[in-house]
Amino acid sequence: MTAPVAVEPEVVGTSLWKDAWRRLRRNRLAMFGLVVVIVITLASVIGPPIIHGLTGFTYDYIPSDSSLIKSFPPFTAPDGSFSWIHPMGTDIAGRDILARVLLGGRISLMVGVISTLVSLIIGITFGATAGYLGGKIDEVMMRIVDVLYAIPYMMIVIVLLAFFGGQSPLGQLFLLFAALGAVSWLTMARIVRGQVISLKNQEFILAARATGVSATKIIFRHLVPNTLGPVIVYATLTIPSVMLLESFLSFLGLGVQAPLASWGSLSADGVLNIALFPWQLICPGVTMAITLFSLNFLGDGLRDALDPQMRKG
Amino acid sequence: MLRFILRRLLITIPMVLVVVSVTWGLIRLAPGNFYTGEKPIPPAIEKNIRERYGLDKPWYVQYGRMISNTLHGDFGISLKYQGEPVNRILKNALPVSATIGVLAYLLALAVGIVSGTLAALRQNSNLDYTSMAAAMIGISLPNFVLGPTLVLFLSLTWYVLPPALWGGPRHLILPVITLSGVYMAYIARLARSGMLEVLRSNYIRTARAKGLAERHVLIRHALRGGLLPVVSFSGPALAFLLTGTVVVEKIFALPGLGNYFINANLNRDEPLIIGIVAFISIVVLIFNLMVDIAYGFIDPRVRY
Amino acid sequence: MRRFSTSRIGAAIVASLFALPACTTQAKDSPYFGKVEAPQGQVLRYISGSEPESLDPHVSTGQPEARIYLALFEGLTDYHPVTGQTIPAIAERWEANADNTEFTFYLRHNAKWSNGDAITARDFVWSVRRGLSPALASRSAYLAYYIQGAKEYNEGKARAEDVGVVAVDDYTVRIRLATPVPYLATLVSHQMFKLVPRKAIEAHGDAWTEPQNIVTCGPFKVKVRRPYDRLIVVRDPNYWDAAAVKLDEITFYPVEDQMTQMNLYKAGEVDAVYNHTVPYAWVDEMRHLKDYMDKPENAIEYYMLNTKKAPTNDIRVRRAFNMAIDKNALAVYRRVVKPLTAFTPEGIFPGYPQPTGDAFDPPRAKQLLADAGYRDAAGTYDPSKFPVSEMEISYNTTEANRQTAEFVQAQWKQNLQLTVPIKNIEWKTFLDSRAKLQYKGAARAGWVGDYMDPYTFLDLFSTEFGDNGTGWSPPEFVAMLREANTAHDPAKRYALLARAEAFLLAAQPVIPLYTAATDWLKKPYVKGMYANPLTLHPWKFVYIEHDRSKWDLDDPPASTN
Repeated sequence: MTAPVAVEPEVVGTSLWKDAWRRLRRNRLAMFGLVVVIVITLASVIGPPIIHGLTGFTYDYIPSDSSLIKSFPPFTAPDGSFSWIHPMGTDIAGRDILARVLLGGRISLMVGVISTLVSLIIGITFGATAGYLGGKIDEVMMRIVDVLYAIPYMMIVIVLLAFFGGQSPLGQLFLLFAALGAVSWLTMARIVRGQVISLKNQEFILAARATGVSATKIIFRHLVPNTLGPVIVYATLTIPSVMLLESFLSFLGLGVQAPLASWGSLSADGVLNIALFPWQLICPGVTMAITLFSLNFLGDGLRDALDPQMRKG
Repeated sequence: MLRFILRRLLITIPMVLVVVSVTWGLIRLAPGNFYTGEKPIPPAIEKNIRERYGLDKPWYVQYGRMISNTLHGDFGISLKYQGEPVNRILKNALPVSATIGVLAYLLALAVGIVSGTLAALRQNSNLDYTSMAAAMIGISLPNFVLGPTLVLFLSLTWYVLPPALWGGPRHLILPVITLSGVYMAYIARLARSGMLEVLRSNYIRTARAKGLAERHVLIRHALRGGLLPVVSFSGPALAFLLTGTVVVEKIFALPGLGNYFINANLNRDEPLIIGIVAFISIVVLIFNLMVDIAYGFIDPRVRY
Repeated sequence: MRRFSTSRIGAAIVASLFALPACTTQAKDSPYFGKVEAPQGQVLRYISGSEPESLDPHVSTGQPEARIYLALFEGLTDYHPVTGQTIPAIAERWEANADNTEFTFYLRHNAKWSNGDAITARDFVWSVRRGLSPALASRSAYLAYYIQGAKEYNEGKARAEDVGVVAVDDYTVRIRLATPVPYLATLVSHQMFKLVPRKAIEAHGDAWTEPQNIVTCGPFKVKVRRPYDRLIVVRDPNYWDAAAVKLDEITFYPVEDQMTQMNLYKAGEVDAVYNHTVPYAWVDEMRHLKDYMDKPENAIEYYMLNTKKAPTNDIRVRRAFNMAIDKNALAVYRRVVKPLTAFTPEGIFPGYPQPTGDAFDPPRAKQLLADAGYRDAAGTYDPSKFPVSEMEISYNTTEANRQTAEFVQAQWKQNLQLTVPIKNIEWKTFLDSRAKLQYKGAARAGWVGDYMDPYTFLDLFSTEFGDNGTGWSPPEFVAMLREANTAHDPAKRYALLARAEAFLLAAQPVIPLYTAATDWLKKPYVKGMYANPLTLHPWKFVYIEHDRSKWDLDDPPASTN
């Protein structure tokens, strides 16, 4: 969650970030969140090859012995005894769930962070500009947002895929980020605009304007930092929603292709078997929940650390 | 103010036309037709179908007919559900989606604002942590997990509530809770951060310095500004809730707009898509307008 | 899960979620799935699948509608509740001429519409003409193309009167065919040939299916219709066999979500569900329950291969990819299916000498690929030479399709050392890319027979209907099918069809995967509802057994006079 850094850090100045980091380090909960996020990210990156080395399982390995093609509970060997071979059990195809959850982590984290960054950049720029300039320009810009809200998202994705569907996996991933970013910035823009409107008539902005500071500078140096509180909170809310939207998009053929998986798609698959094989939902679901919790603690810490009011006080 | 509202209402019409036009174009670009199926149909039958539904006419004739339908508020007959007028579908499905949506949002607002405000007032207290942790569970528990989990316990283990279908008030309970979960959490978090922001601002400090009662400060001054993020979130959120939420309607097999809409997209059912999209865009525009009006009332600093 | 215990809240979730299995174990002691309480009276609640497109049997082509039409409309013949074979309906009996080009159906004299009007031969003639009329634009019209003049009329090149269906007298219908159709009696059970009410349609046009206008001829009639919610039908006293109809009322629920279907069933809110509704991951646990209905289906699942694009334009490549799939393991994996090497479902057509395709044989598959040029200097198979980026397994998005694709991919990876990418596509986009042969390599396909005859499968590769998605359709094959249909002796005809099927398998434009299984549930108190290969239930045989002691007995054989 280094999202806000992307907003022209050099304009804001370095001392803010040093300050923020100092404050953040003092916040135990936030540091705990940071550590967990780092651990899970690392596990997702280096975990799959380690599992392959230890047990021979990969995320897509379906055993050739058909008696092994079934759901085993966590820590259970095929003969029913305790075993370390599948710490999270297996899915209905006999694939190792731990390997799949770690692989899903790669995808979900990437999707969550990148799409949220995209939505932050577009949403803040668009919303702050509209809110600050006001008048006709604001009117037109916000009506564009309204129109985009109403156009059926599904049709856009279907058409996008029809024209750019025959892509390499990397191209598919870009398409996915574009499609996810495209929806999630709309509400962000409205929130930023609302904040900016309520701030722009305050004394410090009027003062800046009176001394001839340029509009761009006012927006990004004075207005945006003051909106960061709600923005960071909304960004931490965006991460889970894009992660879940991703699993819906894979239904339309966008998103990761099987046998790759994401936390969202693993949970969606697991839900069906909730009564019979609960670990198939619990393992990806709890991993995702812990990650989102940690990201959220981190986000709250960042919010407090970056709060200009607190800096003054 | 009145001029502002009138201007915004007037601009709604061209905007709806823009939305339906773009949608119409997207449907044309999307591969496949409402009649394509597993087995290819003979060209003669395809020709018959295209003639029957006017798809053989030049594109501008079809486009003109769609625009004229939209302006008249009569969207024609569904292609997939033959003989069903789109207007009747909207009329039947809207109350279902709206009932669930409004109830869920009211529940979310009540729980979300109260817990968010309390959390902000007692920042870094146990109450704060507990309610925010609960909110995070709400957010990280997607409704496609929450719904089935509730069903598993309440409908399949203890048999106290029906697992799905549209019927009496008992059928409303599970969908409303499932739907409100995420919104509750969003609102709690937005309310908390908005309140934190406001509570530290100068005018609240002034109000307190003047010796106003804390309750007075809170209700008359802080809540107004602190709920701004909740208000701007509410416009689109309510619009989406009113017009149907696919996941919940699917899980609980409800005859709502969301179910129709997703199938209409997958079936390329043009009149139905256009009808629902026109309706959604009107709702979105009106709710966003209401949000903007509410801004003026809540926060006197906002000027138009 | 130990590493999560650092978070107290996380631990709480884990604990509460792991408590779940406890509440499911109690169900394991019962021989039934979930709540078992028979509803009051003779009322059946059934999940019929997607929302019906229309109540007009000529307009919609799908299975969900077919299940409903069986309650509302009848044709000359109907499906046997156990075997799916032909039984008399509005026609009492029928006969064919020597070369199967002319059929005579004798209608019963007591058949009536739901408004009390008598059903005569002229009603049938009018119904067929209406189904074929270009203005109606029925998607199923091609099923009647075998009738003389039908195709021409449907294409607008002839008049309605030229269609070879005539009323000889009030209760005799003669059908003259353009080509021999030995299976005509089973074909006319299809919804395309059901009788529709002339008066109501002429009076109300497209609005004739509205509940206040509709006139039906089946054992039940419409009472309430609420789209996407329910359709309630009640017993029709005017039905010719009303005395035999046991249920008073059926409610059809259009529920699409698999989990919701299972939830409703388990909670006892519905009494039966349609086919392919039990998630296959559950089958091991469900199979021993008395609710579970399992039977091979008149349906196949296969992969099409693009014969116009390299590398699958080479028959050696096509055969190699077929041989590299262990279909027995696939059947185990999919739990509810039978392995298939041929192009017709196995064990569905008694007496049909079904040919067998290539068996699972990885070494030979590798040899074939080496022969096709994918080999190293020493002449042995070299996977790195194969243009694997030109191959894909594309499928339309469903859980079952994805699982099959994952399995096939794993098989090819393990047996050919080739990792073929999987690609899921939204349904209509998928159909479009398949019909236009834009897909690379393999595309998923499945076909449910329109009638109980192998021809409904082999016909997919005749040229009649434009492209079949593989680009393979040689005239010899079509000629073989024609020749088979001219044979009057059923055994000889089957032999000729089997020869055509063998020809098809040798060319391998498809990879057969499995014969589907019915895989549905019914409560023990629902009787007279059988697992048949079509999962189409003639509703008049179904009833609710309130006597608990009879629940576990086998269903009595249906008497079908």
